[in-house]
Amino acid sequence: MDVTDVINLNAIDLYLQVDDKKGAIEVLSELLFKDGSIRSKEEFINDVYLREAQGMTGIGDFIAIPHGKSDSVVKTCIAVGRVDKGIAWETIDDKPVKLIILFAVDNKSKNNQHVKLMAKVAGALANKKVCDALLEAESPEDVLSIFKQN
Amino acid sequence: MMNIIGITACTAGIAHTYIAKEKLVNAAKELGHNVKIETQGTIGTEDELTKEDIEKADIVIIAADINIGGKERFKGKKVIDVPMQTAIKSPKTLIQKIEEKLRS
Repeated sequence: MDVTDVINLNAIDLYLQVDDKKGAIEVLSELLFKDGSIRSKEEFINDVYLREAQGMTGIGDFIAIPHGKSDSVVKTCIAVGRVDKGIAWETIDDKPVKLIILFAVDNKSKNNQHVKLMAKVAGALANKKVCDALLEAESPEDVLSIFKQN
Repeated sequence: MMNIIGITACTAGIAHTYIAKEKLVNAAKELGHNVKIETQGTIGTEDELTKEDIEKADIVIIAADINIGGKERFKGKKVIDVPMQTAIKSPKTLIQKIEEKLRS
């Protein structure tokens, strides 16, 4: 099992056409829904905002990691979106956000391999080189291979 | 060189916990220290600090947004509590401040 089990090429959009945070979460959730990873978009988005209310998910350097632990999640996985112009987001360095990594976690899964892989993906984001590479990635395949290597 | 140990834990236990851990480890190593960070997340406790780790430690960093488990293990140790945000935003500055504090 590796990161390809939690990152789906269908849930990566490097050219998100959105103007704000709400739009980004909406479109990424739609990708997860279309892909069958979540059962209900509304319910999932509600759970994402529940987490947003607990503290900022902008981790600095143009990256945000919103996440929803939700009963509506069928398959624990990650969606990735990029908005090159940047959008407003609550972040620790007050910079806008360009890359959004949305974590969808099955509420019932506790100690499973998928959640461990999510933790691995999160850990990789501590590395500035990984963040820079993701900001420059040209295709969903690029995104996948960046996570595979790190 | 210091022996740094610590714990990271965040509200959802999915992402921040693990980013903060990596940031602290990377910064500590860069500054030439030994480091071990325990994570308390959705998947449970990983890299659990052993009795020996704790005995050897010069400083304990707790970067958490929630109450962590097993704090009593650090009785008699120098413990620094910081918000999760500090560990993610400026891990190097945090450790440099600790260096200064321990030197004085």
